[in-house]
Amino acid sequence: MSTQVSDGTGTSHIGGIEARVSRSLGALMVPIVAVVAIGCLAPIWLGGSRVLMGVAIIGVTFACYAIGFNLIFGSTGQLFLCVGALAGIGGYAGAIFADTVGLPVVVSIILAAIAAGVTGGLLSWVAVRRSLGIIFTGIITLIFTLVYDSLLLGLGDLTGGENGFLIRSGADSFLRRQIPPYYVMLGLMLIFLIAHGLLRRSHIGWAFRALRDDEVAAELAGVNVARYRVYAAVIGAAMLGLAGAIYAFAEGRISPSTYGFAQVDVVVLVMLAFGGIGALFGPILGSVVFTIVDELFIELGQLREFIYGLLIIALFLWVPRGVIPTLGQWLRRRRREPG
Amino acid sequence: MIANVLDGVVLGLQFGLLAAGLTLVYGLGGVLLLSYGQISVVSAIVVLFSMDAGLPTLGAVVVGLLAGALLGLAHDLTVLRPVYRLHGESRVLLSLLLSLGVAFVIDGWLNWRYPLQGLRLRIGSGPIEILGVRMPAGSVVASVITIVTLTALLVFLRTTTLGRAVRSVIQDEEGARMVGIDPNRMLRLILLLSGFLAALVAVTRSMVLPVDVQSGFSITVFALIVTVVGGLGSVSGALLAGIILGIINNVAAAQIGTFMSLVILLLAAAVTILLRPAGLLGVKE
Repeated sequence: MSTQVSDGTGTSHIGGIEARVSRSLGALMVPIVAVVAIGCLAPIWLGGSRVLMGVAIIGVTFACYAIGFNLIFGSTGQLFLCVGALAGIGGYAGAIFADTVGLPVVVSIILAAIAAGVTGGLLSWVAVRRSLGIIFTGIITLIFTLVYDSLLLGLGDLTGGENGFLIRSGADSFLRRQIPPYYVMLGLMLIFLIAHGLLRRSHIGWAFRALRDDEVAAELAGVNVARYRVYAAVIGAAMLGLAGAIYAFAEGRISPSTYGFAQVDVVVLVMLAFGGIGALFGPILGSVVFTIVDELFIELGQLREFIYGLLIIALFLWVPRGVIPTLGQWLRRRRREPG
Repeated sequence: MIANVLDGVVLGLQFGLLAAGLTLVYGLGGVLLLSYGQISVVSAIVVLFSMDAGLPTLGAVVVGLLAGALLGLAHDLTVLRPVYRLHGESRVLLSLLLSLGVAFVIDGWLNWRYPLQGLRLRIGSGPIEILGVRMPAGSVVASVITIVTLTALLVFLRTTTLGRAVRSVIQDEEGARMVGIDPNRMLRLILLLSGFLAALVAVTRSMVLPVDVQSGFSITVFALIVTVVGGLGSVSGALLAGIILGIINNVAAAQIGTFMSLVILLLAAAVTILLRPAGLLGVKE
């Protein structure tokens, strides 16, 4: 899936090259700001309904998860099947630091993000040290998800087990009101997008791309493959932990299913399948479409899983690179044809 | 302690059978079949409905095994077609994603249509005594079936021409192609066989504990872990890994507690993968 064709495609067109060179910081910021600005308007339509606002908050939270996963998997090809577990480490660590230990909420959230980042980095470090392929990384991280899950239930005194964790800290803060948490998550998404965008443009981004396209060649060209993989995992996992922790405080109650494999990992995978793995805006489009479709089909209950299954199959069969990149390529080809 | 170890062996044989089908498909075709547990569950439901329709238990089991084999073949004929066009890691990845989709389709349908169904086969009356330990008859029968099946599978792979052709593809696909073996036909055969094995897992498992509609994913995950620990593509490795992990699980459960036993089992698997990425009896590398 990682075989993204270079985005220029038209290397024979001199104009294309110029356009690519002159793509400045502004060119990166304009679409990001536009997307977030549109996002800012959502409460105008949805703000009246507590239910719809809740859906929107979950949607933006998942966009944040998807950006974190996209950074790890899309940019450096590490199949982390523990997105929910890393977000859950953030959520539970934040709740425990704030409620059980008694630290301020902001400090707890920062510590939670660090905990998730360190965990992600360790997983990646182990995988890189043993030079595990994509499948073994997937299986090791899947095992990690299962261990996390059984620890969550086994350490019921600390985590609340199956009943969940009722977070008392910050109960009177703005995070528990109807609309503010939406803007907090949207702000987080903005930061994540800019961070991912800047990373892609920096020399680290070049290393990522070289790594993804041809690992051996990248290594021969002097890219320290191992180090960049671990960097990406630390940053991506910290993003997941941060989003998970803030969501926990906004929600006020977390349980194993808040960050479950079926509830988070699978959904994020479907989102990226739709938006395009490795594409900067893939997670955004994927989460918007998924959230709307999920809400439309809500009455179908269990049959939704059936539909997502069909969607996964159809997407990976016919548009394996994601809908956005495929559409973009099609548009570029059409634009070129008249000339 | 002996009772724990014996129970562990029973569980381990289940694990081994679970992994046998998955390990062959992966070793042979580089295809990771995440819908493996769902094939099991569908077979269990078919057995259940056949029994409800009035078939005797044995007849219903045969129908269920057939259904599993056909479902395995159906994978080969439909979703795996585009997978065969790819090679290496992108092949594994696409097969993983597509079969995950299939798993959702089956799981979603079953959970929607038959959410409360489960298969439980009751075998014999009283417990049977082995080495001074009283074992439930179901566990003993299930273990005997498993041992016979895995032995037959190993004999098939080692002695028959067809079995050797299968192993040659696992060891060296290009070489096998050069001596006139068609890997795709072997793969079709193995998918049929692994569908059959998945159905057999459902049958033997239901003699020990109920196989319900929700158990698909846990079957797949355990099959995956045992497969990797045993070495991809190695049936005897799957058996060895299954028994070791089964004993670890049951002894840990008795000594430390049920929750930690799963953690210890998983950590044992993780450590094995990290120390020996090729698995205990890995074929490749």
